[in-house]
Amino acid sequence: MDNAVWERMQRVLPSLSLRDRGDIYTDTTEFMSISYGDVISLGNRLFAVLRDEAERRFGMEDPKYWVKRCRDLETEEQYILKLVFHERFEQNIGSITIQCFRSPEKESRILDRVKNDARFMQGITLHDVAGNPVRVLELIRGRSLDNVIEDIDADHRTYFYELFPGILEKFIGTCEAIVFLHDHGEKHGDIRRDHIWIEHRTGRYRWIDFDYAYESTENPFGLDLFGLGNILMFITGQGIHTTHELAATQKGKEILSTLNPEDFSLLFPNRLFNLRKMFPYIPEELNRVLLRFSAGTYVFYETVEEMLQDLKPCLSCLPKT
Amino acid sequence: MNFKKILVAVDASENSARAVEYTGIMIGQTPGFQIHLLYVERHPERDIFPDDASWKNACQEEEQNIRDFLAQARGMLENKGVQHEAISVDYASSGSCSTGPQRSSKGHSVANHILKVHQEGGYGTVVVGRRGVSKAEEFLFGSVTTKIIHNAKDCTVWVVE
Repeated sequence: MDNAVWERMQRVLPSLSLRDRGDIYTDTTEFMSISYGDVISLGNRLFAVLRDEAERRFGMEDPKYWVKRCRDLETEEQYILKLVFHERFEQNIGSITIQCFRSPEKESRILDRVKNDARFMQGITLHDVAGNPVRVLELIRGRSLDNVIEDIDADHRTYFYELFPGILEKFIGTCEAIVFLHDHGEKHGDIRRDHIWIEHRTGRYRWIDFDYAYESTENPFGLDLFGLGNILMFITGQGIHTTHELAATQKGKEILSTLNPEDFSLLFPNRLFNLRKMFPYIPEELNRVLLRFSAGTYVFYETVEEMLQDLKPCLSCLPKT
Repeated sequence: MNFKKILVAVDASENSARAVEYTGIMIGQTPGFQIHLLYVERHPERDIFPDDASWKNACQEEEQNIRDFLAQARGMLENKGVQHEAISVDYASSGSCSTGPQRSSKGHSVANHILKVHQEGGYGTVVVGRRGVSKAEEFLFGSVTTKIIHNAKDCTVWVVE
C-alpha cells in the first residue's frame, strides 16, 4: 500500500497500527485474503476494510467472508461490500431439499430496479479490474424484524391488541414491495424474518439480500410466498409456537390435545399455523390466511396479490383495545 | 374440438415416456388419429450460472437430450403401430439460447404454453405424465399437470402416472 493511501487510512481509522497496514486490492476474486487493514479499490473509490460481516442464526455466528464492512476513504461513510461468491448449496425446507445458488448478477439487477425505493436496501454495483460485480450497499441502521419482535416485553394479548395492528400494516407494505419485484419478473429468493430490517430513524421496514437464485419452476414465486407466510405466522404469534414448546407447560398440553396435523405448517410439521386455537382472539379472517400455509389447506395462494386481497381486510377486523 | 387430435405434452422424464407409451397402446393402428408430441422449452435459469458461456452450454446439452427424447418417443409410437404420417413433433423453443438469456428470474409457464397450443390446434385430447408431487412440493414449485387439469377446457385430459 503506498504512503498516500496509508496516511488516509490512518486519518480515517486512527486505531490502525503499523502491523495492520495491508494491501490494496483492485481484484477481489480471492476474497478470503482480504481483511482488516486492506483497501478495496473500485474505479476511483477506495474502501478501507474493517471486518467480515457475519450472520447470526439459531444462536450461531456464521461468518460471511465475501461480505466486508468497509469505510469509504473519501466520505468516511460505512458501506457493506458484497464480493463475488458463486456459491452452490442445498437448502432444506422441511423435508424438501432445494438447490440454491448465489447470484451477484441477480442482486445487482434488483438493486438497479429498486433504486430510490426505500422499501429495499440501497446500493450500487462497481466492477473491479477482473470484472467482478461488487455490490456497494448502504448501511441500514436498525434491527431485524425477528429481533425486534422477540424483544417485545409483553404477553401475547397485550402485544396483539396494542402492537400487532401497526406491525401488520407495515408487513403488508413489505408484501406490496415483493409484488413490485414480482411484477418486474424478479423473485426476492430468500424471504425470512431476519431479512426485513426496521430502520431506527424512520421505523420503515426494508428488505435486504437479493442474491439467492433457484432453478426455474412452474410456480416461480412459490418460495417467496412461502417465506411471507412464515413471517405472517411469526408476527401474528409473536414468535414461533412448536409442539415442543406447547408440551412444556400444562396450558400448552391442553392446547396440544386440541390440535391436528392439519393445524401445522405445510412444510414444518411442528410449527403451529392455526394460531386461533392458541389465541382465540385472533380474528377468523386473519387465521384463514394463515391456514392457507398449513398442512390442512387444499387451496394455495399462487401470487402475493392473492394473499394481500385476503390480508388487507384483516386490518379492520383486529380487536380494539 | 376433435378428440382424435391428440396433444401429448412431454418433458423427457420417465413419466412422459409412460404417457407416450400409453398413447401408443391406446391408439395403435386405429385410423383417423393425429398425435402431436410437444415439448415446451424451459431453459435453466441464467442466474444459477456464473457466466453466459456455462449457461449456454447447459442449454445446448438440455436441448440435445430433449431432441433425442422426442425422436425416441416418435419411435415408440411407431412401434405401437401408429403411422409415421399421423405423428408430428414440435420442440417449442423460446429462442433465448441463441439470443441470450432473459434478464429476470421469473421464467415462464410451460402449462400456459401447452394450453395455448391446445386451444389454437383444436386438440380434443391432451395427454400428460405425472410423477406425483407432494402438497408441499406443489405449493413451492407448482405443477404443470395440475395446471392443465384445472384449466384445460373442451377436451379430455389423460393423466398417466
